[in-house]
Amino acid sequence: MKRSSQPLKQVPLEQLPLNEAPLNEVPLIEVQGLRRVYGQLVAVRDVSFSVGRGEVVGFLGPNGAGKSTTLRTIVGYLGPSAGKVRVNGFDVVEEPLLARQAIGYMPETAALYPEMRVSEYLSFRARLKRIGKRELRGHVDQALQKAGITTVVRSLIGTLSRGFRQRVALADALLGNPPLLILDEPTAGLDPNQIHSVRQVIRELGATHTVLLSTHILSEVESTCSRAIVIDKGVLVAQGPIAELRRRRGSQRALLTLHDTRQQALGLMVAAARVLGVTPVASTPSMVPVALGRGALGLVPDSVEPPPGGGGRSVPVGAADGHAAVVSFLVSFEPAADGHECLEDLVALLVRSGVRVREAKLQYSSLEEVFRVLTGADAEAT
Amino acid sequence: MKRPSHLPGLLAVYRREMLSLWVTPLAWLLLFVFLLLQGVSFYIVIDHFTHFTSRSIDQGPVQSYFSSLFIPFSLLMICPALTMGLFAEERQRGTLETLLTAPVSAAAVVHAKYLAALSTYALLWLPTLLYVIIVRNLADVDWPVVAASYGGLLAVGAAYLAIGLLMSALTRSQLAAVMLTTLVLFGLFILGIGERVFDPGLLRDVCGHVSVLSQLDDFSRGVVDVRRLVFDSSLASLCLFLTRRVVDSWRWG
Repeated sequence: MKRSSQPLKQVPLEQLPLNEAPLNEVPLIEVQGLRRVYGQLVAVRDVSFSVGRGEVVGFLGPNGAGKSTTLRTIVGYLGPSAGKVRVNGFDVVEEPLLARQAIGYMPETAALYPEMRVSEYLSFRARLKRIGKRELRGHVDQALQKAGITTVVRSLIGTLSRGFRQRVALADALLGNPPLLILDEPTAGLDPNQIHSVRQVIRELGATHTVLLSTHILSEVESTCSRAIVIDKGVLVAQGPIAELRRRRGSQRALLTLHDTRQQALGLMVAAARVLGVTPVASTPSMVPVALGRGALGLVPDSVEPPPGGGGRSVPVGAADGHAAVVSFLVSFEPAADGHECLEDLVALLVRSGVRVREAKLQYSSLEEVFRVLTGADAEAT
Repeated sequence: MKRPSHLPGLLAVYRREMLSLWVTPLAWLLLFVFLLLQGVSFYIVIDHFTHFTSRSIDQGPVQSYFSSLFIPFSLLMICPALTMGLFAEERQRGTLETLLTAPVSAAAVVHAKYLAALSTYALLWLPTLLYVIIVRNLADVDWPVVAASYGGLLAVGAAYLAIGLLMSALTRSQLAAVMLTTLVLFGLFILGIGERVFDPGLLRDVCGHVSVLSQLDDFSRGVVDVRRLVFDSSLASLCLFLTRRVVDSWRWG
């Protein structure tokens, strides 16, 4: 507040484009080395990321990871203990009002004034956001429409259901068409139908706004976001496009279907794994065959076994009696490995050994697993 | 880059506060109880004057009304109730987060809330003008003195409401806010009583300056002592300043 921005007149001409044009290229949110402390507790430590214009970013983390703290720092409700946060190029501490003007924020609580009518509340919020008297009606109507609550305009907020209140809060965030929407757990406490429609709305908004939404539900990110930022215990553990995050999981698995009469199909697989494991050619060598054969194609239907659990090996049943059989293997590669390369090497090896490979397909791990790995839940479990 | 002005935000918050105060029963309930008290007070004054017309020459009914003990008592009751919700309720409900993340400064929010409480306070006093009009039908009314009396009430109210606002910002619970405010206001009142208890000296002077009773007495006689206005406005400014700091501190807490 203290430092006043220079009046336009005093800015040298050649600097003008610098001030105006790059504003569109400056990331909407820039968080650098953010740290937030509550007394003794460090809620967020050294978190840095940025969100560019037009992105729909999911901010992921288990409860208590520091999601809300980070979002609240971005919207200016909390001050950073250290680090810088810029929104639309404005520092949230030094230029709080200008920064906030670019943001439509929906807090986790979606707390509203129960004694007000929806229309009164939204008019109030519109005035707070400096929407002029003349445009006010139009802006409110538009927000009501986008949030799908035109039917409850006259209702007292206190009488609305949780789902509707959430939508009123969303309408509030949309008022004035801010370039950036920050939604803290937008689907928390809603029933499945409401969750579905809120996600629908978010997807639609993603076309016209930059959205940063926090959640601990991975499918939400998968269904609405193009990029995810994962935070755990106050530390940023991963960020990137959803597909990239999946790849990061490393435990890609591949389903191989071999068409082979020979009993040694499994043996070959194991051998292949071993060969790959030592071959320096494959940069990401070792591979563990986890499972198991499954008799198939109705040739030996009686001998089909249920797949054994725990990744143990079993002899492919179909192959045992010398009939031509289709055998499926589920292979999983080492965490650090590149699934594609491993699979290519494996298939090449098998083919060279004369095994007929019918199908080889990489299986992407679900984001749930990515999340568990990234946040170290696996380590705790074992 | 135009720096946003504080006024639109202030006006928006002010309007909302007024709406919330008057669409809920609180303001009406306060108005009812307040006017009941004032009515009783006025009745006693008029009754007194109809029975003992000649007793005091320098004190008319209007003046008696404005310097009666009923007034500090009603202030002690309505000021904490008017201010208790201003911040405590927003924090309790969680609406503070939406409010403070809007493009509005903490100062604008604090001042808007304060002004809403102050104008509601003024609105509570408005109907008592009728008493003056009634008296005017029976006797002469010195309007400048009436204006001074209302001015004094407004000044005291401004200070008390600012204290209440600060207390409301200091706690999450409205009940605690009421009790804290009442405690402080009652403390001030008792300190004022000191003027009539202590021997002449510094202590008595201090008590005299703080005394709400003496202030109302002065103003009801048309004596507008600037020192008292300075005291009230300093108290109000100090509390408003502290409230702004408290609101700012939440960001860093």
